[in-house]
Amino acid sequence: MTGTDRLFLTLSWAVALACITFLMLPIVITVAASFTSSSVYTLPPPEWSLRWYISLERRSGLWEAVTLSLNLAFVSTLISLVLGTLAAIAVTRGSFRGRAAIATFTVSPLMMPGLVVGVALLQFFREIGLRDAYWSLLLGHIVITLPFVMRTLLASMQAFDFSLVDAARTLGLNYPHAILKVLVPNLAPAYLTGGLFAFLASMDNYPISIFLTDARNKTLPIKMLQYLEEQPDPSLAAISSGLILMACIVLIIGARTVGLNRMIQG
Amino acid sequence: MSARAERIGLLAVPGLSFLAVIYALPLFLLLLKSFQIDGQFSVAEYITFFGDDFNMAVLWRTLRVACLTTLLALVIAYPTAIIMARAKGIWLSIFLIAMVLPMSVGVVVKAFAWSILFRTRGVLNDTLISLGITDAPIRMLFTETALIIGAANVFLPFMVLPIYAVLRQMDQRLPEAAASLGATPVFRFTNVTLPLSLPGVVAGCAFTFSLAISMYVIPSLIVGERQQTLSMLTARSFLFLRNEALGATISSILLIIAISVVLGSSWLASRLGARQ
Amino acid sequence: MNDPVRQTSGERSYLDVVRVGKAFKDTKVLSDLDFRVGQGELVSLLGPSGCGKTTLLRLIAGLTPADSGDVVLDGRSITAIPAHKRNISVVFQSYALFPHLSVAENVAFGLRARGMAKGATGPKVTEALALVRMSDFADRPVSALSGGQQQRVAVARALIVDPVLLLLDEPFSALDRKLRETMQVELKSLLRDRQMTAIFVTHDQEEAMAVSDRIAVMNAGIIEQFASPAELYARPATPFVMDFIGLSLRLRGQVSSTAADQSRVETAYGEVVVPKLFPLGTKLVLGVRPELVTPTKRENTLSVQIADTMVLGSKTQLHGLSEAPDRLICELPGIRDEYRRGQDVQFGWDVANTLVYEAAA
Repeated sequence: MTGTDRLFLTLSWAVALACITFLMLPIVITVAASFTSSSVYTLPPPEWSLRWYISLERRSGLWEAVTLSLNLAFVSTLISLVLGTLAAIAVTRGSFRGRAAIATFTVSPLMMPGLVVGVALLQFFREIGLRDAYWSLLLGHIVITLPFVMRTLLASMQAFDFSLVDAARTLGLNYPHAILKVLVPNLAPAYLTGGLFAFLASMDNYPISIFLTDARNKTLPIKMLQYLEEQPDPSLAAISSGLILMACIVLIIGARTVGLNRMIQG
Repeated sequence: MSARAERIGLLAVPGLSFLAVIYALPLFLLLLKSFQIDGQFSVAEYITFFGDDFNMAVLWRTLRVACLTTLLALVIAYPTAIIMARAKGIWLSIFLIAMVLPMSVGVVVKAFAWSILFRTRGVLNDTLISLGITDAPIRMLFTETALIIGAANVFLPFMVLPIYAVLRQMDQRLPEAAASLGATPVFRFTNVTLPLSLPGVVAGCAFTFSLAISMYVIPSLIVGERQQTLSMLTARSFLFLRNEALGATISSILLIIAISVVLGSSWLASRLGARQ
Repeated sequence: MNDPVRQTSGERSYLDVVRVGKAFKDTKVLSDLDFRVGQGELVSLLGPSGCGKTTLLRLIAGLTPADSGDVVLDGRSITAIPAHKRNISVVFQSYALFPHLSVAENVAFGLRARGMAKGATGPKVTEALALVRMSDFADRPVSALSGGQQQRVAVARALIVDPVLLLLDEPFSALDRKLRETMQVELKSLLRDRQMTAIFVTHDQEEAMAVSDRIAVMNAGIIEQFASPAELYARPATPFVMDFIGLSLRLRGQVSSTAADQSRVETAYGEVVVPKLFPLGTKLVLGVRPELVTPTKRENTLSVQIADTMVLGSKTQLHGLSEAPDRLICELPGIRDEYRRGQDVQFGWDVANTLVYEAAA
C-alpha cells in the first residue's frame, strides 16, 4: 500500500464516518427531543420526562390514524404479495414476449412522483364514481406496495431452481400445490424482505394518501402533518419515536430471519 | 411445453390488469387531460404555465434543488460506498444499519427531524454557537441550502446502495491485475474502479434525482410556502387554489420529467452494460 | 525445513525469496521459506489447496506483503517496492480481463499505465495479439470470448510490457482437458522463445511436469522438494512428494532385521528388503513406482489378490487387495487383459528400486 493509497483511504473513511453520523443524526435528535419536559424543542432537554408520550393518549384522532395506517399497510402488502407472486412466476417462467417490459412496468411506480400518482388516482376515482375513502386508499396503497414486492421477488425468483417444483410434481403435488409447498417456503427471505419494505413504505406514504383521504379517514403521516400545523409540540417527536421503534423492530425481524446483507441486496 | 408457458403468462394477468387500471390508466388520463381544454386538444394550459414568471421560478428552483441535492448526495455517497465495499464483519453491519434504518423510518419522520434541527433555537445553531463558529444563530429554516441538505440526507441511502452493490460485485482481482501491469493507484482508480462503478452511479443518480424532483413532504416542512417546489404547487392547486387545470399541467410536467429520467438512465445503463 | 536448493549449473539465481513468513489471522501460511529461481527458468509451485503456493506467488508479485523475510530480484531487494513498480506481470486464474475494455484495450492497458499515449500503443498491441493468435479479436468485447481465448489475451496483456518475471496462478484450471494440453504446449514454447523467467502455480502434477524445468512441491507452507520432474519422480525426497507425484505401490512396515547396508521390513503383505540401514523396530513407509513392478517373482515378492484391473490403452494397471493408505499396484505396458479380479498373483520388484522413508511420528 503506497502513501497515496493510504491518503485516499483515510479521506474516504473520514467521509464515510461523517456520512453515518449525518444519516443517524435526525433519528437520534428526534428520540432525544421526545423525552423533554418543556413544551419547546430545546436540546438537551432541561429535564427528561415522558410527558409527551403520555399526552399522546389525549390526542384526538391519533389512535384512528394509527389503526388505519396499520390496516392499510397490512392488507395492501398481503394483496401485493399474492399478486406479486403470480406476476413474478409469469415473468421468470413464461416465454412470451415483453417479459422484461412487464417486469420494468411493475417496478416503475417507485420512480414516479407520488404526488402525480395521487392526483391521477383522485381524478380517476372521481370519474368512475368511487367515493369511499378507505377503498380509494387501499387501491392506492397496493400501487405503493406492489413494486417493492416485485423487486425482491423478481430477483429471488430468477435465482430459484425451478426443478424443485418439478420434483414436487413428480412426487404427487399438482402445480399450484407445488408452488405453495416448495416455492413459497424457499422464497421466504424474499417475501419477508419485500413485505417488510412494502409495509414500511405504506406506513410512511404521504403524497398519494393526501389526495385520497377524507375527514374521517386520515392515515398517520397525514395526521402528523396536521398536528404540526395545529399544535407543534414535542408530542410529534414522541409519535416519530414510535415510528422509529417500529422500523427498528421490523429491521430486527428481518436481520434475524434473513440477515442484514441479504435484506439489502434483495 | 409452449402451451404451458403461455398459460404461465396468464398468471401475470391479475397483477398487470390491476396496475394497468389503477396506475397506468389514471396517469395516462391525467396526461391526456392536460393537453385538453373542453375536450379539444390544446396546449393552452402549458403556455399559460410557462408564461407565468412565478411558475417558471418554481420550475427552475425545483430543477436546481434536485440537481444540487443529487450532486451533494453523490459526493458523500461515493467514498462511503467505496469504504462499504471493502468493509467486513461489524463495520459492514454498522454501515448497513446506517443506510437501512433511515430508509425504513420514513420521509415524514426525517423531514420533521430536520425541521427541528434547523430551527433558530435548534440543535445545529446551538452547537455552532458553542463551537464559536458563529456569534448569532443562522437562519436556516426556509432557506434553499437547508432544503438541499435535508433532502440529500433523506435520499443518501438511495445513492449509496446502488454504488455499493456494483462495487461489491466487482472482481477484486481487477485492480490487482492493473497493479501488476504497472498501474499507479490513481491510474487504477480512474481506469478500472471508476468506469466499472458507473452503472451504480447512474442508477443512484437517476433514483435520487427523480425522488428529489417530486419530493413534497421535505420542502413542506423545511421551506414551507416561501420557496415552493413544483410538487407543492401541484398540491396547492388541487387542495387550496381549486385550480385543477394548473394542477394537472404541473403533474404532467413532473410525470414527463420522471419518465425521461427513467428512460434516459436505462438507456445509459444499457450503453454502459453493452461495453461490459 | 528449508528446501535443498539445487541450481542448474551455470545459471545464477535471478529471483531469490529469502526466509519469508506470512500468517493470516492466527494461521501460519508460510514459515521461513527459501526459494530460488534462475533466469529463463520455467518453474512450478505444486501442492494441494491451502499449501501456501498462491500466497507465495502473491508475495513475489507484491500483492500481499510478507510478515518477514526478503524478496530479491536480480540482486536488488524488492520487498519494499509496491506491486505496480516491480515490473512483474501476473496471469490470474480467472484471467481478470477488464470487462469494460475491448481485447485490444485490455492488452494496451499496461502500456498506457506506464504513460504511453493511447494512439501509440497500436503497433505493439498488434504484435502482442499476433503472438497469441488473437489478432482477429482486437475490437471484440471480452465477454464474447471463450475460456481459451480469454487466457491468450491475458497472456498477451502480461507479456506486452516486457516483464522481468511472469507469474501464472493456475492459468489452465478453467479449461477443459484437451484445450489445456494444447495451451500448455503453446505457452511453454512462447515463453522459451522470449527466454522469459516464469513461475506457475498449480495443483495438477501432470501440468507441472509438462511445463516446468523444476517443480517446488509444497505442503503446509514449506517446500518439500524443489527439483526437476525426473528427479521428483525417480527420487522423491519425502513420502508426501512420492504420493503427490505420480502413482506408487505403497506399504507401511517395521524393520525386523538388518544385514550389510540393507534392512528387512515386515509389512502386512509380506517381507520386503530395502536398500538402506535402519535401527531395528523403525517404522517405515515404502514405495515403488508401478512400472518397476511386474507380476513375477523377483528380489522382493508379495502375494497379492487382484481387486481390480484397469486397461488404460497404453498401459494396464493391476490393483491388489489392500487397506488404505497401503496400495498394491503394478503397471504393465500395453493391453494385458489376461488378469481377472480375484486372481492370485505375485508382485515383484528389485530392491534397488525401493523408495524408503521413516514414518512420521
